[in-house]
Amino acid sequence: MKRRQFLAAAGAGALTVTLAGCGLVPVIPKRPTSTANDALGWIRHEQGRYTLWLPSAEMGQQISTALQGLAATELGVPPAQVHLQLPGTRAIARVRATVGSASVQDFALPLARACATLREALAQGQTSGTLAARDIAPSALRSLQPRTGIAKETAVAPGQLHALVTGQPLFAGDTRLPSLLYGRVLRAPVSAEINSRPKAWDETAARADPACVAMVQHPRLAQMGSLGLGIVARTPSALDRIEAALAVQWQVEDGSAFEQAAIDARIDIDTQLRRGPLQHRLRKDDLPADTAWTLDLRMDIPLAAHAPIEPRSATAQWLADADQEGIALKVWAGTQDLFYMRDVLARQFNLNAERIEVQACRIGGGFGGRTLCTVELEAAVLAQAVGAPVKVQWSRAQEFAQGFQRPPSSHRVRARVHGGRITHWWHALASSHILFTPAAMPVWMQTLADLAGDSGVARGAQMPYDVPQQRIEFTAQRLPVHTGPWRGLGAGPNTLVVESAMDECARHAGADPLAWRLQHTTDERLAQVLRRAAAEARWPERPASDATTLRGRGIAGGIYKGVSYAAAVADVEVQRATGQVRVVALWCAHDCGLVLQPDGVRAQTEGNLVWCLGMVLHERLPVARSGVAAASFADYPLPRMGDVPPLHVQLIDSSAPPTGAGETAMVAGAGAIANALRDATGVRFTRLPVRSADVLQALAARG
Amino acid sequence: MHITLNQHPQPVPTGWEDEPLLWLLREPLGLTGTRFGCGMGQCGACTVLIDGVAERACLQTARGLQGRAITTIEGLAEPDGTLHPVQQVWRDLRVPQCGYCQSGQIMGAVALLRATHRPTDAQIDAAMSGHLCRCGTQQRVRAAIHQVARGTKP
Repeated sequence: MKRRQFLAAAGAGALTVTLAGCGLVPVIPKRPTSTANDALGWIRHEQGRYTLWLPSAEMGQQISTALQGLAATELGVPPAQVHLQLPGTRAIARVRATVGSASVQDFALPLARACATLREALAQGQTSGTLAARDIAPSALRSLQPRTGIAKETAVAPGQLHALVTGQPLFAGDTRLPSLLYGRVLRAPVSAEINSRPKAWDETAARADPACVAMVQHPRLAQMGSLGLGIVARTPSALDRIEAALAVQWQVEDGSAFEQAAIDARIDIDTQLRRGPLQHRLRKDDLPADTAWTLDLRMDIPLAAHAPIEPRSATAQWLADADQEGIALKVWAGTQDLFYMRDVLARQFNLNAERIEVQACRIGGGFGGRTLCTVELEAAVLAQAVGAPVKVQWSRAQEFAQGFQRPPSSHRVRARVHGGRITHWWHALASSHILFTPAAMPVWMQTLADLAGDSGVARGAQMPYDVPQQRIEFTAQRLPVHTGPWRGLGAGPNTLVVESAMDECARHAGADPLAWRLQHTTDERLAQVLRRAAAEARWPERPASDATTLRGRGIAGGIYKGVSYAAAVADVEVQRATGQVRVVALWCAHDCGLVLQPDGVRAQTEGNLVWCLGMVLHERLPVARSGVAAASFADYPLPRMGDVPPLHVQLIDSSAPPTGAGETAMVAGAGAIANALRDATGVRFTRLPVRSADVLQALAARG
Repeated sequence: MHITLNQHPQPVPTGWEDEPLLWLLREPLGLTGTRFGCGMGQCGACTVLIDGVAERACLQTARGLQGRAITTIEGLAEPDGTLHPVQQVWRDLRVPQCGYCQSGQIMGAVALLRATHRPTDAQIDAAMSGHLCRCGTQQRVRAAIHQVARGTKP
């Protein structure tokens, strides 16, 4: 049985949209909805062997395991018989980017229908040809049947687990080709928001290194305002020596210098509010004219990095092609958006998109950061310049400085509590762009897009609780450091603030934090995860402080993208003498509808909880001298083995349609930890991260 | 020049003698399971065993390892493919998420368990704190090490 004819449907050619007077419009990622007929291109049967071309990027969210298991169930074969293959752009029809934890939601139904169609055809003796997918009702699909008893797991599909534990090549940097050379694009040590270019360099010194191959200057080595200087060498580490020998001097646009204070001032919420209503309002109910607020809380959350352990990498190879019809450029990439990568390269090199193949590789940590074309373009430019395949892998310092970051945000929440209820709620926040990332959008275009409001910034700001009168408003300010999607987008910071404020309201009302939340919701699924997390943690058995150690317990919950639910309870200990904070346990209940792959969802939930821990206690990306000031993990501490407590994850057994699971717990973990800290110390920490020095200072001030 | 790699003598290609072991392994020798995370010994992704002790390959060179036994993730399993007990438990407990740091985590765990048959939580914290994982697999790494230890004869 062959794959469906899909190439005609896949469309060809780069986007050529232009707006008069606006200059070149960046390539816009397309987000098609995959159909069951598309999915027939993902599953293939040949001589008793099934191959599944994975439609979404695998970056640790175990989507390969989930979809392999689903396909196997639908086909009626053991998972190991479904051979997994990561696709190139010529192997499957265009699929949307792997973002927003939507892969199961987007791909499960079409894939199940395609597999059912294939199974039925094989059962009827058809062994070759192409099929048209049948529009089978979900209730008739074996793989989407509601299951009871999550704990009783069926045979889990292997995914790429064996290859991982045996160290087989899987990632973009593992690509090897004959005559492969190694490249790097040097850039001025300032934000790409600032125009910069190489001014002078010592080429003689660089060429004295026997491993030096070439210096490459090309206009395509620009990333926003940053024009780079390419270097190519015979070994990867020669790039470090050549970079040092070149001692590039940079020309940096005058008058553009900035420091951390400029960023803080730009998004200062009180400054923004003094200018009047913020640009976008999610709710605009009437608020009382007087200022008798029960709670008036300001919180500030810093820039944060994705900091994946894999610095991004791509290998590019140009192919000689006499007839000008075949593949001209092949690129191996670890990207969340394979087809967007291809379209950008097609635009840049003025090639028909069908003449470029971008091959998907496993991603060594995505978290929203692998959505733009960066190393892929650098590798393609360098490979073309030297006439040989070139691999580029960013250094750790480049990985910190040259991507985009989670925007900082500044919040003010005012609430009025009356008669045991929150009657009025006003949450105002200022941040920078997430979906309309400045790393890909020029100022004019962002200004146009901003008319709609960046929903990534707003994610999680909607109240999951019932409050009659609400004002929720936000503004996104373009910052000189580029910002963009990070795990959960705005949901991590926004729900942390919402849940901190909820907690303070409960304290004002003298209410138990769990009971307070339950009495403010009629959403049964939210109530269920709150009750479940609390029950697992034995909520009423609160830890007691003693002479040396303060102990506290906190709870928080929320709804992610309106479809997935999570609640968490945290226990923390604070050493009175040192201010050292330790999270000693985390409990989390997670409801993402029908769970296709329980172990994978548990793993994602554990990962989210560790992110939340890092967010509250460790992570802040420093800015200095007009750019990111972190060059290594010493400058950006991540949670380590000893920081991670036992994580108790409970999945809600549900037959509701499957929703996203990869980011849900971001709405619960951080709030629970912050509220536990408040419970232990009596202090509401309003600036993140909370490090031991901050705690000592706060305890001293409290007396 | 030769090194002893996964129990076999291995010639070092000309021009790679003084390059970091990490890149020698990954590029000319094709053992890409040892992975680059920082190049500064801060993340643990490139951990290999040198005479059974965990070392960062980014901080070693072939010239400095003459006469020493180097073991990489590719050299852990038996020649017939039987996984090393640490690899097997890593698989059973489904420790990896993205998996990029996991070769290094596994090598670190192998070295720990060689030196300490039944490590305590504190010993695991100490030995594994130099292995960064951004996906958040720490709890499963800990559980896997304990499980291997329980199955190991003292």
